[in-house]
Amino acid sequence: MNGSASRRPTGIDRRPGSLGGEGRFGVVIRPPVYRLRDGTFVCSRLLGVDRNSVAALPGRIEVVIEGNFVGVVATSLQAAREAARRLHLEWQPLTATGDSPPRGRALEAESSRHSGNTVETAAPQGRYLTRHYGWPSRMRWGDEPGWVVADHAHDRLDVWGPTATPTLLKRDLMALTGLPQETIDLHCTAQASGIGRHCGDDAAADATLMSRAVGRPVAVWLDASYVRDVESLGQAQRIAVSAELNAQGAIERYRNRQELAGSDTPVVALWLSGVLDTQRHDDGATSEPVSPPFSPYTFRDQRLAAPGVSREVHGDDGVLELQHGFARESFLDEVARTSGQDPVALRLRHLDDRRGVELIESVTRRAGWVWPTKANEEGLSADVNRGRGFAYAQLPDRHGRIDEGVRSAWIADIEVNRITGDVSLTRLVVGQDSGPLVDTAQLQEILQQRVLGVARPLLAREPSFDEWGENGGGESQSKLTAETRDVARAPCSTPMKGSDGEQVSALSPLDEADLSPGVAVIANALFDATGVRFRQPPFTAPRVRQALQGECGTSGSEATAGRRLSRWRWRWLAGAAVATAGAAAMLWPWKSPIAPVARPAANLYSAETIERGRLVAEAGDCAVCHTGQGGIDNAGGRAFDTPFGTLYSTNITPDEATGIGNWSYAAFERAMRHGISRDGRHLYPAFPYTAFAKTSDADMQALYAYLMAQPAVSAEPPANELSFPFNMRALMAGWNALYHDAAPFRPDPSRSDLYNRGAYLAEGLGHCSACHSPRNVLGAEQGGERYLAGALVEGWEAPPLNALSRSPIPWSEEALYRYLRGGESELHGVASGPMAPVVAGLGELPESDVRAIAHYVAAQMDASVNDTDDARSQAQQLVARSAASTSGMEAGERLFDGACASCHVDTGLPSFTQAKVSLALNTNLYSERPDNVIQSILGGVHATNVSGIGEMPGFADSFSDSQVTTLVEYLRARFAPGEPAWSGVAERVSQIRKDDNKTHG
Amino acid sequence: MTRTLTLTVNRQSHRIAVAPETTLLHVLRNDLALNGPKYGCGLGECGACTVLVDGLAARACVLPVAAVVGHEVTTLEGLATAEGLDPVQVAFIEEQAAQCGYCLNGMIMSVRALLNHDPHPSKQAIRAALEHNLCRCGTHVEILKAAYRAAGHDDEGECV
Repeated sequence: MNGSASRRPTGIDRRPGSLGGEGRFGVVIRPPVYRLRDGTFVCSRLLGVDRNSVAALPGRIEVVIEGNFVGVVATSLQAAREAARRLHLEWQPLTATGDSPPRGRALEAESSRHSGNTVETAAPQGRYLTRHYGWPSRMRWGDEPGWVVADHAHDRLDVWGPTATPTLLKRDLMALTGLPQETIDLHCTAQASGIGRHCGDDAAADATLMSRAVGRPVAVWLDASYVRDVESLGQAQRIAVSAELNAQGAIERYRNRQELAGSDTPVVALWLSGVLDTQRHDDGATSEPVSPPFSPYTFRDQRLAAPGVSREVHGDDGVLELQHGFARESFLDEVARTSGQDPVALRLRHLDDRRGVELIESVTRRAGWVWPTKANEEGLSADVNRGRGFAYAQLPDRHGRIDEGVRSAWIADIEVNRITGDVSLTRLVVGQDSGPLVDTAQLQEILQQRVLGVARPLLAREPSFDEWGENGGGESQSKLTAETRDVARAPCSTPMKGSDGEQVSALSPLDEADLSPGVAVIANALFDATGVRFRQPPFTAPRVRQALQGECGTSGSEATAGRRLSRWRWRWLAGAAVATAGAAAMLWPWKSPIAPVARPAANLYSAETIERGRLVAEAGDCAVCHTGQGGIDNAGGRAFDTPFGTLYSTNITPDEATGIGNWSYAAFERAMRHGISRDGRHLYPAFPYTAFAKTSDADMQALYAYLMAQPAVSAEPPANELSFPFNMRALMAGWNALYHDAAPFRPDPSRSDLYNRGAYLAEGLGHCSACHSPRNVLGAEQGGERYLAGALVEGWEAPPLNALSRSPIPWSEEALYRYLRGGESELHGVASGPMAPVVAGLGELPESDVRAIAHYVAAQMDASVNDTDDARSQAQQLVARSAASTSGMEAGERLFDGACASCHVDTGLPSFTQAKVSLALNTNLYSERPDNVIQSILGGVHATNVSGIGEMPGFADSFSDSQVTTLVEYLRARFAPGEPAWSGVAERVSQIRKDDNKTHG
Repeated sequence: MTRTLTLTVNRQSHRIAVAPETTLLHVLRNDLALNGPKYGCGLGECGACTVLVDGLAARACVLPVAAVVGHEVTTLEGLATAEGLDPVQVAFIEEQAAQCGYCLNGMIMSVRALLNHDPHPSKQAIRAALEHNLCRCGTHVEILKAAYRAAGHDDEGECV
C-alpha cells in the first residue's frame, strides 16, 4: 500500500457520491470544550439535540449520538457539513472545574520559552539547569488531507485510512465496538517509521461509530479540523531533565524524571462515547515500572527514573526511546550552549565508549562540523536563517546487550523561513555503527527510508527523493551522507525496495529507535538557526512561526522583521534588482511534494504587505484566468481551449482542501517560478510561470500574503481534458528544460529606469507575451522577431504589439498609456474581450507603473511619444471616408442601420450611449482575421468597471450566423476599404459561436 | 455581486443595492417604479427606452447602471415641473401624436435631447435625431409635426 492508496481507499475518490449507492459521508461535532490533562478527560456534556433543525435539509441526514459524541451523516460531504452547521445542540458548559484554557495554549506553552518551564539557579560548585520536554498525544493529521472510511456491518469492521500505530488503533476499535480482534480488518497504511500516534486514528474511530449507527460505510474527511484533537489531547509525556555543572563545564549530576506518562492516548471517540471511564486512563502510571531509559553517557552522579508505564499498555517501545532520546539530546545541547561549549565536545567528554567516540569523530569530520557553527548566510534571502544541529544515540540490542547495540550520530543542516515558519532540511549526515556485518548499500537504503519517515511528520516537508546519496545531487545542497561502519546485524529481514509502506511497517519496533537522534537533531538545529528552543515536537511551519513571533518581543527579532517590511515599501525596481540573488541561490527540492501547512493566519502579514500583494495580483491579472465564467473571484474553473485539449484554471483561494490554503510559501514560490504544483506535479504552461519567474522575491511574498488573506472558497475545478501525450504532466519537465528560463528579471543597464520598470512588469507579472506572442507547436512562446507578434487566445486575437501592429493609425506611447489606463484610445478603439479585465486590473496600479508598461510596449513598436498631427489628420480622413457606405452591399447596410447605427453613426447630436471611437479607426477591422469583430458582435463588449470601455450588447440571440457574416463583411468593406475582404467569415462565425456556447454553458 | 450605488434620478437621490452590470432600464422600471421608459428591443436599436443622462439621450436598455453613478438621469416622469408639462410633451398632446404610444417615450426624450443641444434645430436635424427611433404604428407624420411644433416651426401645412 502506498501513500495514494491510503488517501483514496477502495476506489473512493474526492467526489462525494462515489462511495457507491450505499456509502455515506460523515462529519463530527466535537463538544465546545474537551480536554485531557494529566490522564483526566473532561468535556462539556450534551444536554439535548434538536433533530428537527436539520430534518428539512437534503442529503438524507442522519444524526448519530453516542454519549457526548455527535456525528452527522449524509449522502454528500457538503450536505453533512451544512447539516453539522445547522444542527442545534445544547451543551452544558464546563463550569465546575473552572480552568478551561483557551484553545491553543497547551501547545504554545511547550513550544517556546516560558517562565516556569525553565529553572536555572546558581549551584554551589557551578550551575544548575532544569528543562522540561514534552511529547504530544497526537502528531498532526498525517501528510495531507484524505479520506478515512469505516464499514461496520455483519459483526465485522473494515477500516481504510492512514495510521502510524495500527496495534493501538485496533485495540481502541475493539474497545469501541466490542468486536473480537479477528473481525476487525485495518486496510491501513502504516506510515514509515511514525514518531507517534496521529489523528488518523481518531478519524477512523469517528467513522466507525457513525458507520455502526447508520449501517453503511461512512467516509470522514481527515483534515486540519482535527488539529482540535491534537490540542485537546495535550501532552502524552513530560520529562524533566536536570544537571549540575562544575566549574569546568562538565556535568557532575544528572537527573531524568518522568513527570507525565500518559503513554498512548486512546482515540477521542472512546472518551466521548463514554466507553472509557473518564477517570480511568491514568492507570498506566500505576502499573509496574519498566527498566529505566538507557543513556549512553556516564556522569559521576546519575539518576534515571523509570517511566511508570508497562510495556503492554504502551505497545510501542520505539516511540518511548524516541521521547527519551529527544529529551536527553535536546538537554545536552542546551547545557552546552548555555555554558558556551561545543555540543559535540560536551558529549565526547562524557562518552566512555570507543566505538561511539570514533563514530562521532568520523561524522563530524564528514560534515565539516565547526564550533561555533558558522551559518553561511551568503546567498540567502533576508527571511531565511540557517542552522546546524548534532545528536547522538546508543541503544542496546533486542537482548539488552549494550555493546552489541546500535550507535548513531546525526548532523542536520536546516533553513528556516522566519516569515512562513517553513523548515527545510538541506543536508543530513548520519553515521550508524551497528556491529560487525557490513552491507553499506542496504543500510544506506534503510536510512534513506527511515530518515524520510522521521523527517516527514516532524517538518511537514520531505527532502527530495532524487537528490539522495553521494552521486545523486552533485553540488546540490540536499544530500544525505550515510556513514556506515561495521554493520552488525542485518537490520531487517527483508531488503527495502522503493517506498513500500507495508515492508516498513513489518520492521521490528526497536528499529524505530535507531532513528531516535532524528528528532533532537532538528530541534538543536532549529535553536542554532533561530535562538528558539522547541521542547516538544513536531516542528511544523505554524508552530515554528508562532514560536518565532512569540520570541520576537524579547529578542527584538520582530522589530527586525517589522523594519524589513517597512523598508520594502513600494520600490518594485529596487526589489527586483536586489532580491533576485537570494532566489537564485535557494534550491527548493525539485519535483518532490512540499508538505501541506495550515493556512497562515490572516494577521501574519502586515496590512502594507497585503495591500502591496493586492497590487501585484492586479498587475498579474490572477483573477482574469482563475475566475470561472460567472464564478467567484479566484476560485478557478475557467476553461482554456488549447491546441492540446481543454485546461481548467485552478482554485487559488486559501481553501485547504480545494485551493492553496495548505501551500507553504516555498510551495507557492516554486509554482510561480518553476511551474511545479505543491504536490510535485508539473503545471501546464498555460499558467504563465515562464513570465512569473521574473517576479522579485519581495513581490512574490506580498502576493502570497495577499492571496492567503482572502476568503477561502471551496471549489474543485473540472479535470483537464488533454489529448495524449500532453496529458502526461511529467513531459512538462522536458518542456521546461527546453523552453523555461527560471532566472528572475535582470534590468538592462543601457536602458532607462522607466523602460526597465516597464519590462519587469510586462515581461514578468503582466505576462503580456503569454497572450500576445505566438506559440510554437509545443506550446512555447516564440521569441526574437516573433516576440509579441500576436496570437489567438480564447477565440480572440491578441494583436501584435511589435512592429507588426496592423492598427490603421500608428500607436503612440501616450495613446498606449490612455488605452491601458482608461480602456480607450480615441484613435484606436476600446479594450474588449480578455483585455477588458486586464485594463480593469491595471486600474489598480499607480499611474507610474502603467506609464512604464506603455513606455516598454511603445519601444517594441518603435512608437512616437505623442500622437502626431499627421496621425490626427489621417484619422480624420479615415472617419470622413467611412461616413457614407460605397460598398453597395445592401443587406449589410440594412443590418447595420437597424442594429448598429443608433450608437455607431455620428449624427452630429451627441448621445450618452454613442460609441466614442469611430469604427473607421478600429484596429480589429484592419486585422488579418475577423475573429475579434465576430466576437464583439456575438458577445458584445462588457467592462462595467472601466468607464472608458463602454458597453455593447451581444447580438448572438438576435442574429443568425448568416446575418453576422453579412454584417462582418459589410463592416470590413465600409470601414477598412483599403484591406482585402476576409475569406471564410461564415466558417469562423459558426465556429466561434460554437466555442462560445461551450465555454459559456 | 451586489453593490450599493447612489443614483440621481429626476433630481432625487436613490441608494440602490444592485449588481452593477444591471441595465439602467431595469433599475428604473423595477426598483424605482418609473415606467415611462419602455422595454422594446433590449439591444439599443429601437429607442423606446430612451432617457436623458446629463441632458444627453441615452438608451437605458444597454447601459449598465454603474455607468450613470455621478450623472443626472432624467426620465419622462421628470420632464414636467410644478409650472406644468415640458413644451415637448405639450406639443405631442396638441398634435395627438400617438397611436399605441409605446414609442412615444423615446420620441419625446429624443426631441428633448435635441432641443437641449440646439433650441432651434432645422427640420433636417429633427429628422436625423429621430432616425433611429422606431414606430410600428406608422404615426411618423404626427410625431414629426409635434417635434416641429416643439422646436418652434409654426408653418403647419408642410411637415415633410
